[in-house]
Amino acid sequence: EETGDEGYEFGKGTFTEHACRYCGVQNPACVVRCNIPTCRKWFCNSRGNTSGSHIVNHLVRAKHKEVCLHKDSPLGETILECYNCGCRNVFLLGFISATTESVVVLLCREPCLSVNALKDMNWDLSQWCPLIDDRCFLPWLVKVPSEQEQLRARQISAQQINKLEELWKTNPDASLEDLEKPGVDDEPQPVSLKYEDAYQYQNVFAPLIKLEADYDKMMKESQSKDNVSVRWDVGLNKKRVAYFVFPKEDNELRLVPGDELRLRYSGDTAHPAWQSVGHVIKLTAQEEVALELRVGQGVPVDVNHGFSVDFVWKSTSFDRMQGAMKTFAVDETSVSGYIYHHLLGHEVEQQVVRNTLPRRFGAPGLPELNASQVFAVKSVLQKPISLIQGPPGTGKTVTSAAIVYHMAKQGQGQVLVCAPSNVAVDQLADKISSTGLKVVRLCAKSREAVMSPVEHLTLHYQVRHLDTSEKSELHKLQLLKDEQGELSSSDEKKFKALKRATEREILQSADVICCTCVGAGDPRLENFRFRQVLIDESTQATEPECLIPLVLGVKQVVLVGDHCQLGPVIMCKKAARAGLAQSLFERLVILGHKPFRLQVQYRMHPSLSEFPSNSFYEGTLQNGVTINERQSTGIDFPWPVPNRPMFFYVQMGQEEISASGTSYLNRTEAANVEKIVTTFLRSGVIPSQIGVITPYEGQRAYIVNYMSRNGALRQQLYKEIEVASVDSFQGREKDYIILSCVRSNEHQGIGFLNDPRRLNVALTRARYGIVILGNPKVLSKQPLWNSLLTHYKEHECLVEGPLSNLKQSMVQFQKPKKIYN
Amino acid sequence: SVQVRQKLVQVDPKEEEDFERELKALMQESLESRKLELRSRPTLNMIIPMNFLDGSKDPRFIEGESGEETMDEEGGSGGGQNKVRVKVLMKRGNKQQTKQMYIPRQCSLVQSTKQKEAAELEE
Ligand SMILES: [Zn+2]
Ligand SMILES: [Zn+2]
Ligand SMILES: [Zn+2]
Repeated sequence: EETGDEGYEFGKGTFTEHACRYCGVQNPACVVRCNIPTCRKWFCNSRGNTSGSHIVNHLVRAKHKEVCLHKDSPLGETILECYNCGCRNVFLLGFISATTESVVVLLCREPCLSVNALKDMNWDLSQWCPLIDDRCFLPWLVKVPSEQEQLRARQISAQQINKLEELWKTNPDASLEDLEKPGVDDEPQPVSLKYEDAYQYQNVFAPLIKLEADYDKMMKESQSKDNVSVRWDVGLNKKRVAYFVFPKEDNELRLVPGDELRLRYSGDTAHPAWQSVGHVIKLTAQEEVALELRVGQGVPVDVNHGFSVDFVWKSTSFDRMQGAMKTFAVDETSVSGYIYHHLLGHEVEQQVVRNTLPRRFGAPGLPELNASQVFAVKSVLQKPISLIQGPPGTGKTVTSAAIVYHMAKQGQGQVLVCAPSNVAVDQLADKISSTGLKVVRLCAKSREAVMSPVEHLTLHYQVRHLDTSEKSELHKLQLLKDEQGELSSSDEKKFKALKRATEREILQSADVICCTCVGAGDPRLENFRFRQVLIDESTQATEPECLIPLVLGVKQVVLVGDHCQLGPVIMCKKAARAGLAQSLFERLVILGHKPFRLQVQYRMHPSLSEFPSNSFYEGTLQNGVTINERQSTGIDFPWPVPNRPMFFYVQMGQEEISASGTSYLNRTEAANVEKIVTTFLRSGVIPSQIGVITPYEGQRAYIVNYMSRNGALRQQLYKEIEVASVDSFQGREKDYIILSCVRSNEHQGIGFLNDPRRLNVALTRARYGIVILGNPKVLSKQPLWNSLLTHYKEHECLVEGPLSNLKQSMVQFQKPKKIYN
Repeated sequence: SVQVRQKLVQVDPKEEEDFERELKALMQESLESRKLELRSRPTLNMIIPMNFLDGSKDPRFIEGESGEETMDEEGGSGGGQNKVRVKVLMKRGNKQQTKQMYIPRQCSLVQSTKQKEAAELEE
C-alpha cells in the first residue's frame, strides 16, 4: 500500500556498517575504523561542528589509538602501522619520504624516526609528516567529506559527542537516537527567539520533534484492546467496514479519521487466526469507530466477539517535519532570503512587495469585508510576511479567502493554502472555491474514504470524475479495481501510472491547492513550487509543522491565527516544556512582529463578548451583531438577567478521581448539567444547538452516561448533544454552551483551567447564551477567574439554588494569587 | 543541483581548549610510554630495507595490485596537475609491497623529495 512516503526518511535509511557513528557520512574514502577490538566503530574525517575531525574526536575521547582504512580507500584495508617496528599508535605515526622514486613510508616518531640508520641514509627527517595534523587525519590519506556531504549529514555537537562516548562505555551499541531518548539525556535544549542559522534551528527542533514522536508512538501503541465486539458492514466502495467501540483511557488519545488500526482475531475451531489493518473512516455519535479494512478476503464476518484492536503508528508527519527543517537548512531556494532571515529572528530591512493592488479588496462570492478585514487584506498583499490575528468569530476564513483570491489573480503561480487540521482546510477550500477560483483539496491517501464536506474539490474525486475520452482507460481500470478489489500486476502498474499522470495534470491546472500542513509534504507535491502560501490556524501548529508548506519556495507568506487561543497540542511534557508548544506565529509576535487584528466579531451576544474582549484583546473587540440579532425568541429559559443570556451557577459538590485514575469528575455538576440541558430542550432548543464543555475526560464520560440514564426526556435527545473538551471545540461554535469546570478542591490547583487561552476558547464558543458551573471559592484564587467571577457578580449573574428559583449568590471570593507575567 | 546554504560553524572555545588539552595529553602519554618500552628492550633491530628500490629483484616484494582502480574521481588516471603520485611502502606479514597514492603537490613530503631531486640534478 502506498500510504507512507516513498522518499525521505530521517535518521533511518539503509544502515551501512562503515557510516560515521557520529554523523552518518558513509563515503568509503572519508572514513576509517577504530581498530580497538571492543570498539571497531567507523568515523569520518570531517570536523562537523567540532574543533577536531570525528575520527580524531573519537580517538581522543575514547583514548583509542589504532585505526584501519576502508577496503575501498586508495591503500585498501590497511591497519596503519610503523613500517619499521609495527607500532600502531596513530598519535606517533607519520609519513616520511625515502630518498628517491617518490616512495613514502609510515614511521613512528619514537624511536624509529630517531634511528641512526635513517640519518646515515640521508633522509630528510625534518620533513616527517604526522598522520594527525591540525586535529584531523591527513586529508590526502582520509578524505574530508565534501561540504554537501557534511551538510546532509546528521548534525552533532561536541556535547553530544562527549555524551555519546560516555554512553558507549556502558553500551557500545548505543546510537545518537538513544541519547535523545527520555531518561538518558537530561532536559532538551529549549527553543529560543532567534537562531544564528537554520542549522542551529534544526539542532533545537529536531530533538524536540523526536521526543514528541517517540511519546506519540509509545502512547498509541500501548492502546491495544482485547475482547472487542464488532459489527460488520460493506461500504459504498464495496470495501469491508468493521464497527466497534474503542474506548479511550483519558484525554490523551483521540482517534481521528485516517488513523490506522489493526483488527485481530486469534481464531477458534471454525476460524483460522486472522488480522487486517484498516483506516478509520468515521467516528459515530455513539462513539463507535468505523474501520475500512484493507483486505477484504478471509474476514470472519460471522464472528462478532473476541477481537483485539491495536493502533498502527505512523511516523509520516514527524518525518515530514524533520525533512522540512533539513530542506530549510540546506537548500537556499527553499524560502526567499528575506523570509529566511525573518523566520530566524534576524534584523532585516522592511521589504515591500510591489504588486498592483486591486481596486476593491473583497472577492466575488464572499460577504462584504469590514474595515479591519479590508485593512488586513490590503496590507498583507504588500508584505512578504504577515500575521493576521483573528479573535473568535471575526471572519478569519472570509478574510483568508479574499487574500488568496487576490494572490491567485496576481499571476505568480499557484497559491498553497494550509492549516494544521483537516476541518479548517475543508472550510477554507470551500470559501476559496466560492470566489470562482479553481481549487484542489489534496487529502492524505489514508483519508480518501473519509467523508468530506468538499468532496467535489478533492483530488481523488476529481481523478475519478475527470471525464475525457483519453482518461477512459483509467476509468475502465478503476471500475475493474472497484469490482474485483484488485488488479493483475500489469494492470495495477498501468493504473498507477495513469492515475499519477492524471493527478499531476489536475494539480497543475489548479489556481489554489489546499491541504494540511503535513499534507504539503505529500510526495505528489514533490516537484511543485509555491511562491505564495497562506497558513490558517497557524497558532495551532508547531514550528516544524508550519515549515513544511513554507520550504516549497515561498516568497510571500501569510500566517493566520490567534495566539490568545489554544496553541498546538504537545503530548510529551518534556518537549512542551522546552517550548515546542509555542507556534511560529507566537514567536514572531514576541520578536515584535505586530499582527493585523480583525476587530469585529459576528458570533457572540454582545454580553458574552464583553469579558473576553477586555481580558484577552485589550477591549478592541467590537460587536458585529446586535442584542436583537442574538435574542433567543420563543426560548423560555430562566436567565437571571433577561437581557444577559449568561450566568455562573455556584456549585459546591466535591470533585472525585475518575475510575481510570487519570482524570476528574464532579457528580453534582454533572447532575446540574443534565437539568440545564433538559430545561433548554423543554424550552424548544434542539440538541445540535447545545454544546457541553468540560476540561476533563472523566467528567465528559460521566456526563454522557448520566444524561442518557437520568435525563428526564427521550434518551436519543441527550445522545445528540455534543459533550467534549475545550480543545475539541476550538474553531467552532454552538448557540448555547454549558461549561462544567469540575475542579472543586481547596488545596490543589485548578489544573487545565489555569491556562488563560483555554478559558478564552471556552468562553467564546456560544452565540446566544452561556452557563458556567463551578466552585467560586476554588476558582477565585486564580486571578483571571477571579475577574471573571467579579464580572458575573457585578452583572448579577452569579447565582445559586434550584434552576427554577435562582438566587444571587453571596459566596465570598478568595484573594487571587499574584500575577507574575 | 541544489544551492547550498553556507553554514556558520561556531566551535565553543571552551570545548576546543578542553579537546586540545586531551589531545596533547594523549600525544605526550604515547611518547612517554614508547620511551619506557624501549628502555626495557635494549636491543633494537631496526633495519630499513632499502632494497625496495630495485624491488623486483627481491623475492619478498610484491607490487601493489590495488593502485590504478582505486583512484578517486578528482585524481583521474594521472592524478591531475596539482597532485603527485607516490608509492607507499608497506608490509603485509613479512612481505613488502607498495601501493600508489596521490599527494597534493604543495605537501611538504613531496616538496622535499622534489627539491632533493632538483638538487641532485644540479650536482
Ligand atoms: Zn574506538
Ligand atoms: Zn562524521
Ligand atoms: Zn616504529
